[in-house]
Amino acid sequence: MNEATLLGLVIAIIEFGTLLYLAALGELIAEKSGVLNLGVEGMMAFGGMAAFWAGVETGNPWLALLVAVIAGAALSTIHAVVSVVLGADQVVSGLALTILGLAMAAFLGKDLVSKPPDAQFRPLDLGPLSDIPWIGETVFSMSAMSWIAGALGLITAFVFTRTSIGLALRAVGESAPTADAAGLPVIKIRFIAVTIGGALAGMSGAYLTLLLAPGWTEGTTAGRGWIAVALVIFGAWRPGRVLIGSLLFGGLIALEPRLQTFGVDFSPILISMLPYLLTIGVLILLSIRSRHRPSPAPAAIGQIWRREER
Amino acid sequence: MIRRLTSLRLARRDEPLPGGQVRAFTIGLLVALLLGVILLLATGENPISTYGRMLDSAFGSPRAWSNTLTRAVPLGLAGLAVAVAGSMGLWNIGAEGQIIAGAIGAAWVARLAPDLAGPLLIPAMLIGAVVGGGLLALGPALARARLGVSEIITTLMLNEVAIRIVRYLVNGPWKDPEGNNFPIAPEIPDQARLPGLFERANIGLLIAGVVIVVFGWFVSRSAWGYELRIAGSSERTAEYIGISLRTKILTVLVMSGMFAGLAGGIELTGSASRLVEGVAGGWGFAGIIVAALALMRPSGVAAVAVAFGAVQIGGLGIQTQGVPASISDILQALILFGALGAAVFGNYRLVRTDPAVIGGRATPPAAAPEGAA
Repeated sequence: MNEATLLGLVIAIIEFGTLLYLAALGELIAEKSGVLNLGVEGMMAFGGMAAFWAGVETGNPWLALLVAVIAGAALSTIHAVVSVVLGADQVVSGLALTILGLAMAAFLGKDLVSKPPDAQFRPLDLGPLSDIPWIGETVFSMSAMSWIAGALGLITAFVFTRTSIGLALRAVGESAPTADAAGLPVIKIRFIAVTIGGALAGMSGAYLTLLLAPGWTEGTTAGRGWIAVALVIFGAWRPGRVLIGSLLFGGLIALEPRLQTFGVDFSPILISMLPYLLTIGVLILLSIRSRHRPSPAPAAIGQIWRREER
Repeated sequence: MIRRLTSLRLARRDEPLPGGQVRAFTIGLLVALLLGVILLLATGENPISTYGRMLDSAFGSPRAWSNTLTRAVPLGLAGLAVAVAGSMGLWNIGAEGQIIAGAIGAAWVARLAPDLAGPLLIPAMLIGAVVGGGLLALGPALARARLGVSEIITTLMLNEVAIRIVRYLVNGPWKDPEGNNFPIAPEIPDQARLPGLFERANIGLLIAGVVIVVFGWFVSRSAWGYELRIAGSSERTAEYIGISLRTKILTVLVMSGMFAGLAGGIELTGSASRLVEGVAGGWGFAGIIVAALALMRPSGVAAVAVAFGAVQIGGLGIQTQGVPASISDILQALILFGALGAAVFGNYRLVRTDPAVIGGRATPPAAAPEGAA
C-alpha cells in the first residue's frame, strides 16, 4: 500500500462522510422534534436529480445546490403536511415519500441520464495551507461542501444545547402535550424541522451528483439515505457522535472498492453490510443500557399528536 | 405559508363521513390520477392515451389480467405480512428483505436437490422460502420480544443486508458460469417451475389467494386472532387476561416474515426462474403501502394488491411508448398520500383559528383555542 492510495482513501472517507453527514444531520433535526422521516433516500435522490438538472441548465454549482435544497425541502413538506399537520402515521408516510422521491427523480431525470456534468464542486485551494503534506492534501483540500457540512453540524449542536429555539425543538420531541401546554407551537416547530431535514437531504443529494459521482442515473443514491437514518441512531441523536459515525460509515463505503488494492481477500459486498449491522448492534446496546439510564431517543418520536385530542 | 397552515386546526366531526376506507381509497386514486395528469402534461406526454394504455395493459385482455393478478401475488403476500404485524400494532418494514431471503431459501433448496421430482421439489422450495423469510424476521422479533428494541429500524436495516447477501451470492458463489459474466444465478430446474393456471398466471396465484383467505379468517374468527387484536389495542388488557405478549410478538413477527418469504419463493418458482439481485422488485415496500391502504385487514389487502398490480403492470405497458414506468411508483405513493389525507378528513374537518393565538410564542397557554373535547 503506497502513500497515494492511502491519501485517496482519506479523501474518500471525507467525501462519503460529508454525503452521509448532511443527510443524517437533517434526519437528526426532524427526529429531535419527534418526527421520524423514512423519506431520506427519496429526498436525496430528488435533490440530487434537481441539482444535476440545474447544473446542466446554468453551469453554476451554487445555483444547483440552491435548487436541490429547495427540491428536498419541497418534497419533505408532503411528509410534514400528511404526518404532522394531518396526523397520519409517520412510518407509512415516510416510506411513501421515499417511493415518491425515487420515482419522481427517475421520471423527471430520464433525459439527464448520461449527460456530462456542467457544474461540479471542486476541491478548495487554501493556498499555503493546502500545500502542507498530508493534512493539506486532505482536510485543507476538501470542497467547500465539507466545510459547510461541518459548520452546519456545529450550528446544530449549538442551537440544540444553547438556544431557546433548540430547547423548544427538543421539548416538542419529548412530549407534544407538555410542549403545547407550555405554549409552544408544536405543529409549526415540527413542520419546520421536517422541512430543514428535507433541505439537508437535498443538499446531500446535490453533493452526490455534483461532486462524488458527477452525473445522474437512476439508483445513484444506492441506499445511502437509509444509512443516514441509521446514523442518527448510531450517533445516539447527538450531532457530534453522528459526525463520528458518518466518518466511520463513510470509511466503510470508501474501503469497498479499495479492499483488493490493500491485499485484503474479503468480499467488498459483505463489508457494505456493516453499517446496517452495526446500527442494529447499537440499537440493541442502547435498549439494554436504557434499563438503567434513560434512552437517548426523543420520547415522542413516531407519536401522532393532534391538538384537539388532549 | 407555514403560518397559514398552522393556523388551521383539525376538529373531530360529530359523525365520520360515510364510506370509510373505500371512499378514502377512491379519493386517493382520483388525487393521484389528477396529479399524474399534471406531471404527464408537464413532461409533454398525452395523459389520456397514457392512462388508456395503462388500463389496457392491466385489464384489456385475459393475458393482461393474468399479468396483473400475477403481480398482485407478491404485493398481496407482502401486504399480508405487514398487515399481520400491523394488526398487533407492530411494523414489519422488512418485507422487501424477507422476500429476498425467501427467494434465496427456495433457490438453495433447488441447489441442494436439483434432481428431485417436481411435486416434491416445488413444495420443498416453498418451505425453504418460508423458512428463509422467517429467519430474517427472527432477529428483529427476538430483539423486540426480549429487549424491547423497535422492530421498525431493525427490519428496515435488514432489507439492506438482504440485498447485499443476494448481490454477494449472484456475484460470487452462486454466479452462473454460463451467464456471460452477468450477476445472475443459474436457472432453477425445469421441474421446479410452478404449473401454469391461465395465460401468464401460475398456481402461485391460488396459493397466495388461499393463504390470504385462510389467514384473514384466522385473524377475524379464531381465538388466536382475537388475542392478537386485543394485544394490539391494549398491552395491559392483554397481560391482565393472561396473553403472553413476548410469545405473541415473536410469533407474529416471524409469521410476518414467513408470508413475505413465501412471496419470494413463489416469485422464484413462478415468474423469475433464476435468482437475481432485483428479485424483490420493490414489492416489499409497496406491500407496506398496500397494508396501510387496507387498514391492516387481510380482506382489504387482496383488493388493494390487485389494484396496485394493475398500476404496476400498466406502468410496464407504457414503457414501450417511451413513458418511464416510474409513473406507476409515483401513482402508488400519491394514492397513499391522497387516501391518508381523505381518511383524516373523514373524521376531522378543518377549522381556522385566530393566527394571533397560535402564532406568537408570548401567548399565554390559557389563550389556547378550546376547539373540541
